[in-house]
Amino acid sequence: MDESTLIRRSVNGDTAAWESLVRLHQQAVFRFAYLILGDPDDAEDVAQESFLRAWKYLERFDAARPFRPWLLSITSNLASNWRRSAGRYISALTRAFRYEPTPDSIEEKSAKAMQANELWEAVKRMKKADQQVVYLRYFLDLSVAETADVLQIAEGTVKSRMSRALRKLQNIIREDFPALIEGREI
Amino acid sequence: MNMTDIENRLHSIASEMEYPPTPDIAEVVVTRLPKFPSHFGRGERGEGHPRLFSRKLAWSLTIMLVLASSLMLIPPARAAIIEFIQIGIVRIFPQPTESTAGIPVTEEPEIFTPPTAAPVAELPSLIPLLDKIAGETKLANTQETAPYPILLPTYPADLGLPDHVYVQDVEGMMTVLVWVDPQQPEGVTMSLHFIPTGHWAINKMGPTVLQETEVNGQRAIWAEGPYPLFMRNGNVEFVRLIEGHVLIWGDGNLTYRLETDLSLEEAVKTAESLAPIR
Repeated sequence: MDESTLIRRSVNGDTAAWESLVRLHQQAVFRFAYLILGDPDDAEDVAQESFLRAWKYLERFDAARPFRPWLLSITSNLASNWRRSAGRYISALTRAFRYEPTPDSIEEKSAKAMQANELWEAVKRMKKADQQVVYLRYFLDLSVAETADVLQIAEGTVKSRMSRALRKLQNIIREDFPALIEGREI
Repeated sequence: MNMTDIENRLHSIASEMEYPPTPDIAEVVVTRLPKFPSHFGRGERGEGHPRLFSRKLAWSLTIMLVLASSLMLIPPARAAIIEFIQIGIVRIFPQPTESTAGIPVTEEPEIFTPPTAAPVAELPSLIPLLDKIAGETKLANTQETAPYPILLPTYPADLGLPDHVYVQDVEGMMTVLVWVDPQQPEGVTMSLHFIPTGHWAINKMGPTVLQETEVNGQRAIWAEGPYPLFMRNGNVEFVRLIEGHVLIWGDGNLTYRLETDLSLEEAVKTAESLAPIR
């Protein structure tokens, strides 16, 4: 069943169709939330809320547009507000319930994964708006058009923001994360 | 290196990012969907008539799910009616096997979510989470934010001012004061919540000891944990574990919740010692 059929059925209250849609997109939504929040538990909470919010407002979704950017725009808003929300407070208190020690220490990660992690650290030093462009374009591999849809800005604005963000990122990397360059200029 | 090269390099590095495993979000989301049936019947058919069958079906499924959950949690004899005690916005569901003689209980059908917590023994402390809690502020600023008087315990005499103060907008400003152990700064000795009346409901499930008492002549409940606590506001539910003892009492539109390792008598003294900030 294709995505547009699943959406149509979901609008009519078909929860099985909605479950299929969630499964199609849960990884992207969870990862985007994780990149913004840096905490898997918070990311899970925000991902859940994103899908619940999307279900609630599904009628407002323009079926002529791609679905994933619309979902990620909800995630973006929720994640941005999460740290100052009540949910954040209560979720932090809840953490003990679901705490599991992380099996992978930083040493166990591959060199490439460590490099990606360093890039993430570098991106975190940027403004929130610039961070999101980088996450969507490079970490989640969205196109300029999709990124524009998520951030609800024009494609031209995405490009100019991207260009500005990359210059800043280059400076941050040169100053604080030289290992990322590895003989290659970024 | 031109912009395209840079972008390619970033793509390449970012593609190696290791993420935590994606949890099964779909499963949880679907169990929560019946709370949002608002758009049923207004889909592509467009007839403008509510699809009552879908709504009925959704409610039926919800009720069946709740009944099934309830039956798993409580003995059959109590499955039809769940008893609870209410103080302010807090509802306490006593353990079925514990005696709560002398405490008048309300009888009302109730919907709740089954606990999904790990066994108590496996739970780590909440203490390291203090620095993650949003809304930390200074005591001096709190009174300006909260639309009710912030009161501080004057008992025990050596308690002093709270070490952490949090104010959170939970459809009303909730204030939490936290005192840490001066000998062990990572250990919390007491917390006091000021919870305004709103859409929040707090359910406690099966505290091991439950006792009715009074604070300033007002009915209060003393509960000893550990036990799961559910907080919800209609479409958001959270669970946490209470490890200490809790005294709960109401005053007008405010519910107070004092979490402490003191005895009941000491906790009541502390509660009755609340006084405005000087």
